[in-house]
Amino acid sequence: MELMNKLTILTDGAKYDAACTSSGSDRPGSTVAAGICHSFTSDGRCISLLKVLMSNNCIYNCKYCVNSASSDVPRATFTPDELAELTTQFYRRNYIEGLFLSSGVVKNPDHTMELMINALAILRHRHNFWGYIHAKTIPGASSELVHSLGLLVDRLSVNIELPSEKSLTLLAPNKTKDSILAPMQQIKNELAENTHALSKYKNAPTFASAGQATQMIIGATEDTDHRIITLASALYKKYSLKRVFYSAYIPVMENSLLPAVASPPPLLREHRLYQADFLMRQYEFASDEILSEDAPNLNPYLDPKCNWAINNMHFFPIDVNTASMRDLLRVPGIGPTSARRIVVARREGRLGFDELKRIGVVLKRAKYFILTKDSTAGLRLGKDLTARALIDPKIFAFGAEQLSLFDGSPIPKLNKALPHIVETHSISDAVEEAVLCLASNL
Amino acid sequence: MPCIKPLEKCDSAIYVYDGSFHGFLCCVYERFYSEVMPVDIVASDDEPITLYAVHTVLTNAEKAERVLASISEKISPEARHLIETVFLSCLKQKELLMLNFLLRGYREGRRILSKLGDPDVAPLLKAQKHLLGESHLLKGFIRFSDYDGSLAATITPKNFILPFIASHFTQRFSNENLLIFDKTHKAALVYQNRRMEIISVDNIEFPPISEEEGRYQAMWKRFYATVSIQARENLRCRMTLMPKRYWENMLEVQDLC
Repeated sequence: MELMNKLTILTDGAKYDAACTSSGSDRPGSTVAAGICHSFTSDGRCISLLKVLMSNNCIYNCKYCVNSASSDVPRATFTPDELAELTTQFYRRNYIEGLFLSSGVVKNPDHTMELMINALAILRHRHNFWGYIHAKTIPGASSELVHSLGLLVDRLSVNIELPSEKSLTLLAPNKTKDSILAPMQQIKNELAENTHALSKYKNAPTFASAGQATQMIIGATEDTDHRIITLASALYKKYSLKRVFYSAYIPVMENSLLPAVASPPPLLREHRLYQADFLMRQYEFASDEILSEDAPNLNPYLDPKCNWAINNMHFFPIDVNTASMRDLLRVPGIGPTSARRIVVARREGRLGFDELKRIGVVLKRAKYFILTKDSTAGLRLGKDLTARALIDPKIFAFGAEQLSLFDGSPIPKLNKALPHIVETHSISDAVEEAVLCLASNL
Repeated sequence: MPCIKPLEKCDSAIYVYDGSFHGFLCCVYERFYSEVMPVDIVASDDEPITLYAVHTVLTNAEKAERVLASISEKISPEARHLIETVFLSCLKQKELLMLNFLLRGYREGRRILSKLGDPDVAPLLKAQKHLLGESHLLKGFIRFSDYDGSLAATITPKNFILPFIASHFTQRFSNENLLIFDKTHKAALVYQNRRMEIISVDNIEFPPISEEEGRYQAMWKRFYATVSIQARENLRCRMTLMPKRYWENMLEVQDLC
C-alpha cells in the first residue's frame, strides 16, 4: 500500500486520542520544556506530535472504538522503517516536535509492543532522532516490554479509558482494571528508580523522562464529574501522573449502550473538566473543594473557580496588598502569573485597579472579590448578582445544545434537568435561563 | 517630560537617529548632554513630515557603550536586558517609552523593575512579552523546505525575532544547513558549516521544490486535514491560537488565507 494511504488510515484511527503535548522533557537542544505547538487543527487542538497508530488491525472489540475488530474501516500497518523515515523527515522540516505512537492490538499485546519498540529503536538509534516521543503501552503486554519501551521514549502512557470499572467491563470487555493499573504502577516505580539512578550515575539510561500520563473518555457512560475528578485526583497522587487527559466521546460506533452516532460530543463538559483539573494541579485546590457527593456535576454556567468563589463568599473580599499567594490564587481572574506579579509589585507601593489591570489581572471577574488601594470596602453585591456577573460568556459560543449534554450522561432522558435551554435562541434569553438555573442551585 | 534646565532655554525637537541600537543609546546620551529635549525619537528611514524642528543624533560607539554600561550599573542588568529586547520589538514609539523608562530608572534605581503596574514600566514588559511570545510561536510555525539537503524557510513576524530563535534552531538542527528569511525586516539567519550569522538581505528567491520535497509536503497537508475532528470543529479557537497573519508561510493552511 502507498505510504500516503497508510498515513491517512493510521492518522484517522489515532485522532481521537486527546494527548498531544510535548512538554515536560528538558533535553537541551532537542526539546523545549514548555512544549511547542507546530500547528492547530480546525477544531483548535494543538498539533505538536505526529499522532499515528502503528497499526489499526485490532483484535479487541471495545464498543466505543473506531478501530475495533468488528468495525468496517480500511486497515493498515506501518513498517518500522516507514514510520521512522516519515517521523525524521517531518521533524527536520519543523512540522512536528516528535512522535505520538499508539496502536491497535495486532495478534496479541506483546507482538504489538515489539513492533512499536522496533520502530522506535530504528528512529532513535539509526536515525539519531532526538525529538520527543510519547508512546502508549498496550494493556496486557509483559513488563519487560514496558521497560524497553520506557527506555526509548520521553513519555509513556496507559489509557485508563473509562472512569469506572463497571463502564470498562461494559464497553471494553477485553481490557481489565488490572491490565491498565499494573503497567501504571510499574512505570511509576521505574520512574522513581530512574531518578535515583540518575542522581548517582550521570550516564544511567533515562526512562520516560517526561513522566506518564493517561486519558479517559467522558460522556460515553453515566459516570459523574465527581467520580471523574476524584479518580483523576487519586491518579495524580497514587501514580504520580503528569497529566490526565479528558476526551469528549464522539459517537463513531452504533451501539445501544452508547450515545447515538449523530449526537454531539460533550465539549463544554470536557472544557469544565480541564478547568477543574487545572485547579487541582496549579491552584492548590483539593478535589472535594471542587465537587461533592451532593453536587456531583460541574456547573455549566460558571467555571469551577467562580463556582467555588460564589459558594464561599465568606472567604472574600481579600486584600491584594496583603493576601498570601495561596489566597490570591483563589480569586477568580487571578492566575499563577498575575499572583506572582502582584507579590512582586506590591513591595513597591500599594496596588489599585489601574496597576492590577496593567499587571494582567482580569478585573471583570476579580473586582467582586478583592480590596485594593482605591476600593477598601469592596464591591459587595451578594451571591445572586455576583453569579449573574460571572456567567461564562464562552457557554454561548459552545451553543445551547452543549448545556443539555451536561448531566453526566449522553442519554437524552437527562435533558430534563435543563428542559428549556435547548429551545433558547437569543443570548439574552440564555443569560436569563442561566441566572434562573443558578439561583435555584445556590 | 520633566525638563531639567530652565524652561526658556529648553528647545524641543524630534530626534532622528540611524535606527541602530547604538544610535538609540546616543539619543539617551543626547537627552542628558544637549539643550534640546526630544518630543519624539524616530529612525531616519521613517522620518516624519512635521512642524517640529528635527535634531539629528549621530551614532558614536563610544558614547553608546557608556550609556549601555550605565544602565547595568545604575539600574540593573535586567533593565539592560529589557531595553535590548524591547528595542527589537514592534512597540509603537518604543524609543520614547524606553527613554522615559531609563530616566525613571536612573532616578529610582533597580526598584523600577519591580513596579510591574507602573505606566512607564508596564508597556515595555508587555512589548517584551509580545516579542518572546511571537518567538515561541514561530519556533513551531516555521516550515522548512529541503533544497538539495539544505533547509530554508520564510517568515513575516511583527517583531525582530531572529536573534531569539537562533539558538533553538541551530541546536536542534546542528548538522544541517539552515536559512530563515525574515521578509518583514529584510534579514536572514544563515547557519552553515556550524556557523551562524544574521545578515540583512532585500529579497531571496527560492528555486522550485524537488519531487521528493513535494511528496513530504503533500503528506503533511494530508496529515493536517485528517487529524482534525469534524464533530469538534471550532474555527474561532484555531484563529485565536494560530493567528491568521502566520498562515501565509504555513503549508497546511496557506490555501485557506
